[in-house]
Amino acid sequence: MSLARRSGGAVLAAIAGAVASLPATEQGVSQVLFEDVTAKAGITFVHAAGATPDKYMFETFGSGLAWIDFDDDGFVDLYLVNGAPGSANALYRNKGDGTFADVTARSGAGAKDHNGYKTGVAVGDYDNDGRLDLYVTAYGPNILYRNNGDGTFTDVTARAGVAGRAREWSTSTGFFDYDRDGDLDLYVANYVDFRMDDNPWCGLRKPGHRMYCNPTIFDGVADRLFRNEGNGTFTDVSARAGIANPAGKGLGVVFCDVDRDGDTDVYVANDLVRNFLYRNNGDGTFVDVAYAAGVGFDANGKPQAGMGVDCGDVDGNGFPELFVTNFSEELNTLYENSGDAVFQDVSEKAGLGSGFLPLGFGTKMYDVDNDGDLDLHVTNGHVIDNVKLYQPNLAYEQPDLVYENTGGRFVDRSAASGPTLQAPRVGRGLAVADFDNDGGLDVAISSVGRRTTLLRNLAARRGNWLQIRAQGTASNAFGLGTTVRAHASGTLQVREINNVASYLSSNDTRLHLGLGAASRVERLEILWPSGRSQVLENVPANQILAVKEPQ
Amino acid sequence: MLSLLSAAMLPLPLRQFAIVLMCVAPALQPAWAAAQSAPAPATELQERLKRVGADLFSPRPNPARAIDELKSILAVDPDLAEAHMLLGIAYRAQGSPELLSEAVAELRQAISLKPSLALARLTLARVYLDMARASRAREELEIALEELPGRPEVLSLLGEAERQTGNAKRSVELNREALKADPGFVQARYYLGLALLDLGQHAGAIRELEAVAASGANPAEAYLGLGTAYLEAKRIDDAIGALAKAAQADPKADTRIRLARAYRLKGRLNDALQQLQLARPSATEGLSALYQSVESDLYMEEGLIRLQQGRLEAAAEAFQKVLGLNADHEAAKRQLAEVQKRLKDARKKPGESS
Repeated sequence: MSLARRSGGAVLAAIAGAVASLPATEQGVSQVLFEDVTAKAGITFVHAAGATPDKYMFETFGSGLAWIDFDDDGFVDLYLVNGAPGSANALYRNKGDGTFADVTARSGAGAKDHNGYKTGVAVGDYDNDGRLDLYVTAYGPNILYRNNGDGTFTDVTARAGVAGRAREWSTSTGFFDYDRDGDLDLYVANYVDFRMDDNPWCGLRKPGHRMYCNPTIFDGVADRLFRNEGNGTFTDVSARAGIANPAGKGLGVVFCDVDRDGDTDVYVANDLVRNFLYRNNGDGTFVDVAYAAGVGFDANGKPQAGMGVDCGDVDGNGFPELFVTNFSEELNTLYENSGDAVFQDVSEKAGLGSGFLPLGFGTKMYDVDNDGDLDLHVTNGHVIDNVKLYQPNLAYEQPDLVYENTGGRFVDRSAASGPTLQAPRVGRGLAVADFDNDGGLDVAISSVGRRTTLLRNLAARRGNWLQIRAQGTASNAFGLGTTVRAHASGTLQVREINNVASYLSSNDTRLHLGLGAASRVERLEILWPSGRSQVLENVPANQILAVKEPQ
Repeated sequence: MLSLLSAAMLPLPLRQFAIVLMCVAPALQPAWAAAQSAPAPATELQERLKRVGADLFSPRPNPARAIDELKSILAVDPDLAEAHMLLGIAYRAQGSPELLSEAVAELRQAISLKPSLALARLTLARVYLDMARASRAREELEIALEELPGRPEVLSLLGEAERQTGNAKRSVELNREALKADPGFVQARYYLGLALLDLGQHAGAIRELEAVAASGANPAEAYLGLGTAYLEAKRIDDAIGALAKAAQADPKADTRIRLARAYRLKGRLNDALQQLQLARPSATEGLSALYQSVESDLYMEEGLIRLQQGRLEAAAEAFQKVLGLNADHEAAKRQLAEVQKRLKDARKKPGESS
C-alpha cells in the first residue's frame, strides 16, 4: 500500500452546499417512484446479445453495469458492459447537469477487441492512488483496467495476473480487502465449464423450440480469489484460501460481515447448486459455513437457481440479512440473520411472494424513500427467449419488482409505482447510485439485447439523507469494508460501505443513509477495515460527507 | 412446472437416460469399506457417518433421512470429504433428476477435498451416466481405474460409458474382463448384453440378458433389454413375454412402445394400439424433452400400425408428427413418401379404400 491519495474533499463540500435540503416528510412512497431518464440523460447504449440459433448459454445471461466516479468530480459516471464479441463496452461521463457524455473512445476501456463474451464488472481502487479502476469479466479472459487519472484507462491484466483461464466463464466480481492489509483483493465468481464445441441441443426438437440449456448439464467451476500484492500484481490464492470449490456455479457475489467479527465474508449465489457462505477466518482463509448457517438451500432444503444477491440489515437488529434472486417459480429468498450467523429463510413471511413467477436477476437493498430502512428492488427477465412455447404464462421480458420495507416486512409497491417500473425488460444487471446528487438513489438496469435504462428517483415524500465518501489512509482508499453505525432520532442503522452486490454489477462506492425526519445524525461511528475507528457527532443531514480515516 | 421446464432443458438424446444402472448398493459396498479405512475425522462424526453409510447401503435405505443427517454433519465440519460423498450418493438415491446436479456438486467437492476417494469418483461416473453424460463418466472412470486397477465395478461402468459413446466393442472387452474377475457380477453381464446387442450379436446378447433376468436383479431393465434382444432376433413371442414382464415391473413409455412393436409384428394390432395409448404422456409430460426422446418412437410405431391397418391418412399424419420432432428422421421420411405415393395412387382409383 502506498501512493498519493487525492482527497476530493473540496469537490464534495461544494456539492453538499449546492444540494438543497429536502424537507423531512411523512413516511411512505409516492405513486411514481422513478422516471425513465435514459434518453434525456443521453444514454444510448444498446446491449449486443449476439444471439445465434445455436443458443449459446452466455447469450442470454446478459452483461452488467457499474457506477464509477472515474474522474473524481463528485458525480458518479456509468460504465456499461457489452456482450457479444466485437461489441464495445461504454463509459458515460456524468456532466453534472443530469446528462452524460459517451467518452468510451477516449477512455480506452471499451474492450472492443475482446474476442470472448463480456459479462460482469467490478469497481475499486486496487492500487490505492485515489482513482477507481475497473475489472471486467467474460467468457474468455478477464480484463483489469487501471485508471490513469486523465480520463483514460490502461489494460494491465497481464502484469497484474488476473485474466483467469482463457476459456473460463466468469460472472460477478468485486474488490474487497479480505486480509485487511490495506489494499483491495479481487473475488471472481465462475459459472460452468462450457465449451463452444460442446453445445448440446436443449428443449424440443421442433422448429423454433431450441432453448438455452440449464446449468445442470454442465459442471461447475471454482471461483477465484486474487490477493493484491501491493505492487500492481495479484496472486491466485483460491485453493489456499479455501474458496476453490469446483461444485460452484456462481452468478452472484456479495461481501459483508455477516457475523460482525470485523472482517469481510463472502456469499455466493450458485445456479441450481447450493449457495456458499465463506466465513472469513481472519487468517487469510475462509470456510464455507452455508450448511451451518442455513443459507445454502431454501426453506425446503432444496438448492435454487441463484442469480443476484445482496446483503443488508432489513430488520434493524444490526446484523445483515442475505437476499438472493432465483428462477421463475422459485421465491426470491430472504435469509434472516438472527445475530449468531444462523439464518432462516423468511421469504414468504417477509412478504416476498410476488417474486414467485418472475425470474429475478439484479437486485439491491436500498432506501428508496429515505425513511431509514432498506427497501428492495429486483429486475426480472426470463433466460429462455422462447419460453412462451413451453409456459404460456411466462414471458421473456418481465417488469421489475420494488418492495417497500415496513418494519422488516416488505410490501410490493411495483404495480403502484408508475409505468416505468412496469415496462417489461430482460433485466439482468442492476446498480444503484445517486447520479444527480439530489439525495435520492437512482438505478441503472441492463437488459439483454436491449437498451440500458436509467431510472431517476422521484419518490416525492423522501426523507432526509446522508451520503458518506470514505477516504481510507491505512485502509483502502475508498474505505470498502468499513462499517458505519448511524444514530439518528433514536434509531440505529448499521451499514457497510460496499459496492459489490446484485448481478454482474457494481454500485456506487459512497454509502447512502436515509434518515427519515431526522435532520442530523447524532452519532456516526465509523469502523475502518484497518481496525481504526472514529466518531462524528451531530452531523447535519442532506450532504455528501467526506470522511477521512484518522492517521 | 419448474421440474417440467428443467427436464425440458436436458440435452438429447436421452434414451440412454432410461438405462438405469443396476445393483448400485452391492457394487459399491467394497469401495465404501475402503473409504471407511481412510484417515478418520473426529470420532463422533465418524460414527455418525458410519451409521449414515450403513443406512444408505442397506437393502431399504432412507435417503431423505441420510440427507438431513449429512447436512447436519457438514454443518459441524464442512470440509469432511466423506460426508460430501455420502450426500452425493444420497441425492442420487432419491432418484429425482432435479437433484442429480446437486449430487454432482457434492461428489466433485468430495473429490476436490480428497482426490483419493475412489467411491466418490465411481458414484460421480454413475451420475454422469444417469444424466447421459457418458464422456464425462468415462473421464472419471479412467482415473478411477488407475486408482483401482482390475476392479470389476470400475471396469464394468467404464465399459458402459464406452458403449454409450459408441464404442460397444471396447465395452464388450471391459465387461468380459470384469466378469473374469467376478463371474457373479450381474451389472457387468447386463452391460455386456447391451454391448453385444449394439454390435448385432443377438445370440450372445440374449444369452447374457437371459442370465441377468434369471438372477432377479432389476427386472424392469433386465426384461426390457432381453425383450429388445428378442425383437432384434425376430423371436416375437419371446419378446412379447419379456417386454410384458418389463412393463409390469415399470410401465414406462419406452417399454410400452417396444411392446407395441412386438404386438404389431405379431399382427395383434389392437393390443399394439392399446400399449401406445398407455404410453402417451399426460398434458405436462408432453412438453418435456425427456418425453420427447420417446415421443418420436411412439408416433413412428403408430404410423407403422396404421399402415398395417391400411389407414393411410392416419399413418401419414403419424409420420408427419415424427418429422415435426426431427426433420432428419430417415425412416419416417421413407415411410411418409411411400404412404403419400399410395394415397396418390388411391385417389386415382376412386372407390378404393384408404
